[in-house]
Amino acid sequence: EERTSGLYKDLHVYQLEHPTQVIEWTSGRTVCVAGFSPSKNEILELRLPRKLFADENKGLCAERDFKVVHGGFTDRPVRCLRHVPGTRCAVTGDGLSSNLQVWDLGGDDSDVIRRTGSIEGRRRRTGVSEGGSSIAARPSSPPQILHGAQISDVQLTELSSGQTLYQLESDSADPLSSLHFLSDAVFLAGCSNGNIYVADTRTSAAPQLSPPPPPPVSSGESVLWWTDASAGPDPSGCRVVRLSSSGQALVSDLRNLGGAVSRAQLDVQTRRCGPDDVRVSWAPALDDCIAVSGRLVPKATTDKMRTASKSSHSPLAGFSGAVQIYDASVWTSELQEARPLFEHRGHAVSPEQSDDGVPPILVTSHVWHPERPRTLLSAASDGSVHVWDWVDQSAADKR
Amino acid sequence: MQHKIQSLTQDSNHTSPSRAERFHPKLLTLQAHANQPRSVEGAGQDVGRSCILVSIGGKNIMLDCGMHMGYNDDRRFPDFSYITQNGRLTDFLDCVIISHFHLDHCGALPYMSEMVGYDGPIYMTHPTKAICPILLEDFRKITVDKKGETNFFTSQMIKDCMKKVIPLNLHQTVQVDDELEIKAYYAGHVLGAAMVHIKVGSESVVYTGDYNMTPDRHLGAAWIDKCRPDILISESTYATTIRDSKRCRERDFLKKVHETIERGGKVLIPVFALGRAQELCILLETFWERMNLKAPIYFSTGLTEKANHYYKLFITWTNQKIRKTFVQRNMFEFKHIKAFDRSYADNPGPMVVFATPGMLHAGQSLQIFKKWAGNEKNMVIMPGYCVQGTIGHKILNGQRKLEMEGRATLDVKLQVEYMSFSAHADAKGIMQLIRMAEPRNMVLVHGEAVKMEFLKGKIEQEFSIDCYMPANGETITVTTNPSVPVDISLNLLKREMALGGPLPDPKKPRTMHGTLIMKENSLKLVSSEQALKELGLNEHQLRFTCRVQLQDPHSDPDTLHRIYTHLKSVLKGYTIQHLPDGTVMVESIVIKVSSSAEDTNTKVLLLSWSYQDEDLGSFLSTLLKKGLPSGLC
Repeated sequence: EERTSGLYKDLHVYQLEHPTQVIEWTSGRTVCVAGFSPSKNEILELRLPRKLFADENKGLCAERDFKVVHGGFTDRPVRCLRHVPGTRCAVTGDGLSSNLQVWDLGGDDSDVIRRTGSIEGRRRRTGVSEGGSSIAARPSSPPQILHGAQISDVQLTELSSGQTLYQLESDSADPLSSLHFLSDAVFLAGCSNGNIYVADTRTSAAPQLSPPPPPPVSSGESVLWWTDASAGPDPSGCRVVRLSSSGQALVSDLRNLGGAVSRAQLDVQTRRCGPDDVRVSWAPALDDCIAVSGRLVPKATTDKMRTASKSSHSPLAGFSGAVQIYDASVWTSELQEARPLFEHRGHAVSPEQSDDGVPPILVTSHVWHPERPRTLLSAASDGSVHVWDWVDQSAADKR
Repeated sequence: MQHKIQSLTQDSNHTSPSRAERFHPKLLTLQAHANQPRSVEGAGQDVGRSCILVSIGGKNIMLDCGMHMGYNDDRRFPDFSYITQNGRLTDFLDCVIISHFHLDHCGALPYMSEMVGYDGPIYMTHPTKAICPILLEDFRKITVDKKGETNFFTSQMIKDCMKKVIPLNLHQTVQVDDELEIKAYYAGHVLGAAMVHIKVGSESVVYTGDYNMTPDRHLGAAWIDKCRPDILISESTYATTIRDSKRCRERDFLKKVHETIERGGKVLIPVFALGRAQELCILLETFWERMNLKAPIYFSTGLTEKANHYYKLFITWTNQKIRKTFVQRNMFEFKHIKAFDRSYADNPGPMVVFATPGMLHAGQSLQIFKKWAGNEKNMVIMPGYCVQGTIGHKILNGQRKLEMEGRATLDVKLQVEYMSFSAHADAKGIMQLIRMAEPRNMVLVHGEAVKMEFLKGKIEQEFSIDCYMPANGETITVTTNPSVPVDISLNLLKREMALGGPLPDPKKPRTMHGTLIMKENSLKLVSSEQALKELGLNEHQLRFTCRVQLQDPHSDPDTLHRIYTHLKSVLKGYTIQHLPDGTVMVESIVIKVSSSAEDTNTKVLLLSWSYQDEDLGSFLSTLLKKGLPSGLC
C-alpha cells in the first residue's frame, strides 16, 4: 500500500457483479459497461465518483463510489458497445453475428436502458464463420454508425431508419479488428491480419490498402494484429499503432501507412488468443503514450518457460492481469526492446485471487479518460473495474 | 404426511374464502424518503427519515422513528397525526421497533412517546438501548442549548422514553402479545444494528433497518434465516451504488495521516465513542507497526472508558476476530496508541489524536480543533456525518472563518478531509439478502429520490417476486397467500386410504373431504361424524323438493307406473323402486303423483331429494319437465 501510494494520484477499485469486456464513455463522467455471459446480461451506465473530478477542496468530497445511473437487460453477450456521440444512443454487438442492437440509454426521467431496434449486418460470403462486428461512431445528425465484421461488410447505417448510406467497395474477406473515424468522412479499418484500409464515406472509390511488414521470424503461428488510430482535430496528423501477437508495435503516419515511423518490441507477447483478447490504445490527452492490455505475457517469461522454469507459481498469472503504458516518443525506426513507462498490476493482485487452480485474472478492457491525461479505467475477468490516475515516475525522477 | 397437510391447506383456502381474505397485511410508509437537496455533497448518505408503519394480521407496528436531519422545524419529525387523527397512538400501535441508534432511525422517539404520547412497548437491542440516549442527548444539547430552539424534547423526556424500551437479544423470539412475535437478526452497519422478523399467525414481514453484507474490521456481516417472509422491507440507501473498495478508502486515510505526520503536522480525528473509532484505531495501529512510525497516537480518555465499557458489554455484537482478541487483551490496549492528556495538545511535533465528540460541537475534540485550526500543516479528518449548526458541518461545507463564542473568529487554515466509512448494503448486498431470506414480496425504502426502475426490474426478473418502492406517505397493500397448517385425524386418513384410488403423489396436492373445526387456536380436519360428536351437535338432514306439472291423461297410479318405466329405461345402473305406498324411489329421490283439482289431465309430480343426491335430483326434475314419451305402457 505504501509503495503504491506514490504510483497513483487516484486509485479506486470496484467490483461489478459480472465482468465486462466493454468500457465506453457516454459523457466525460459516465461510462457504459455490460456483461458477456451467453445469455442474460446487464448493460449499466455508471457515473464516476465526484471526488475524481473535484479539483478544488478534493478533501471535502467524500463521494468515491460509482453510481448506477441507468441500467438495462439483454439476452445476448455484449462484446462490443459504441456510444453515438451527442446522443443518448448506444449500439451493441454480441461477437457472434454481424447483427447489432440499438439502445436508448434513458434520460433524467428514467433509469432504464431500453432496446429500440436492431441493425441487420451485411454478409457477402456465406460459409465463412461470421464473427462479431466492429463499430465506429462520430457526431452526426441523424445518428449513424459505421460497422462490419469483415472488410467487404463495412457500411454506414442510419440508426433510426436502418437505411444504408454507404458501403465499402471491396471484395476482401479480411476480418476486422477495429474501425476508427479519422474525420467526419474518412475512416480507417484495422484487420486482424495486419492490413489497414483507409476509405472515405463520401466517395465510392476503392479503399487504400496498407499491409503490415512481414514478421521478423516466422514462428509458425499465425500473427494477429490490433490497431488504434490517434484522435485529433487534424486527421493528417493522425498516427496509427499496430500491435502484433508477437509483441511488435509499429507506429505509422497516416500519409505513409505502409512504412513505420517507429517501432518497438514490447515486453509482451500473446498466444492462443482471439481478436477480442488484446486492447491497444493511444492516450487522447497525452503525447505519444500507448496503453496495452489483454491476454499478454512478458516475452521474457515465455522465453524462460520454453527453457526450464522452476518457478513455483505460474508466472502467467501476474502479467496478463496488467495494463502497460508505453512512451512511443522514445521508439526509433530500428526495432528495439521497449520497457513500459508504467504498469498497472492492480487486477492481478486482486484479493479475489487466491492460490493455484484459479484461472489467472485477465484484463478484459481499458479506456483512457478523454480529457484527463493519465486517468484510465480498466476491467478484468474477475469483475473488477479500476479507475486510476497514474504518476509518471520517469518525469518525476527527472525533476 | 407433511405434503398432505400442505395440499389440504390449499383446499381449505378454497372452501373458506372468507378466512383467506382476512389476511391482507397493509403496509403504509410514512415519510420514508427524503427529497431534500443536500448541503454537503455526499454528506447526506446516512440522512433521511425512516418511519414505517406495517399492518399485518390486524397488528400495527411502527418500524423506526427517525428524525430528518435537514430540517430545523416540525418537519424534522414524522407527522404522527397521519396514523390516527384523534385517537391515541398507544391504542393504535401494538409496538415500536428501533433498528439501530442513528438519529435518522430513532431521533423522533422521545418526541413521539413523550410529546405526542405513546405508552406501548418499544423494542431495540441492548447496545442500541445503551447508545441511543447518548446520541439523543447530544443532539438535544446542540439543538436546544447551542441553537436555542424550543419545542424540543428535554433530557427528562429522553429518560422517560427509554424506560418504555424492552431490550432484544439476537435470535430470541419475543412474544409482544398472544399473536405477535418478533425476532432480531444481526445487521452489521453499526454496533447493535438489527434486522427484525415480525410474525403474526402464518404471515411475516422482515424489516432490515440499515445493514451491511460485508464484514469490516470491527463488525460482522448481516445474516438472516431462510425465513421466507411475505414481505422483505429493505433499506436501499446504496442500492444504485457500486462502492469503492474498503482497501482504497483505508489506503487514502492512511496516506493522508502519513503525509501530515511526515511534514510535521498534527492530525485530529473527531469520533463518536463507538463505531468507526475502533476501526480506525485498529487500522492506524497496524500501519504504525508495519511502517515503524514513531509519532505518537493518542485517544481522549473519555473515549477509552466509554468504548471499553460498551465493548465489554457488547462484545458479542462485534466480529469474530475482535471477540478473539478481546479474550487476550483489552480493546484499547494498543502498542502505539496512548491515552491523551489535554496538555499534550501544545506539544511540538507531529501527533494523531482521536477525540470525542465526532461533530466538533463541544468537549475535547472542539478544544483541540481550536488550538490546531490556525496551522495549515495540520489536518482534521471527519469520518462521519455532522448535523447542521455544528463546527463539523460548517467546515465540511468549506467554511474557513468560524464565529466562536464571544465574537471571536477562528481562521481555519488546517486541511479538512471528509471520509465516509459508513457501511450499507449496495445492490449486490440487497440481492444477497433476498437470496438469503427468500421473501415473497420486496419493498425498498430509505432510498434516494431517484427512480430505481432498473433495480426493481432486476429483482423481479431474478427472483420472480413483486418489488415495490413506496413514495413518501404512500400506502401499499400486499395480498398474501398464507398456508394454514391443519391437523388431520387418523381416522379420516384411513378412510381416505380405504376408498382406494392411486397412492397419493407426495409432490401433488390432493383434495380431501372432511369438516374443518377450529378449537383452541388450532385447526383440525375430521370426519363429519366426529365433528358432530366433538362439537355436541345433532345431525340435520337437508332435502330439496320441487313440483313438476305434466300433461298426462292416465290415472295417477298409471302415470306413476309410466314414470317408473320411463326412468328404468333412461337411468341404467341406478336403484329404482316402485313402492306399494304409491311412490317411485330413485336412490334417495322420492316421486309422487297427484292430479290437479281443476284438470285431471294435469298431473302434479312431487320430487324430493337429499342434499347428497342434488345432482341426480336436478337431473330428474329437468327430465320429467320434458314430459313422458308416448308409447309407454
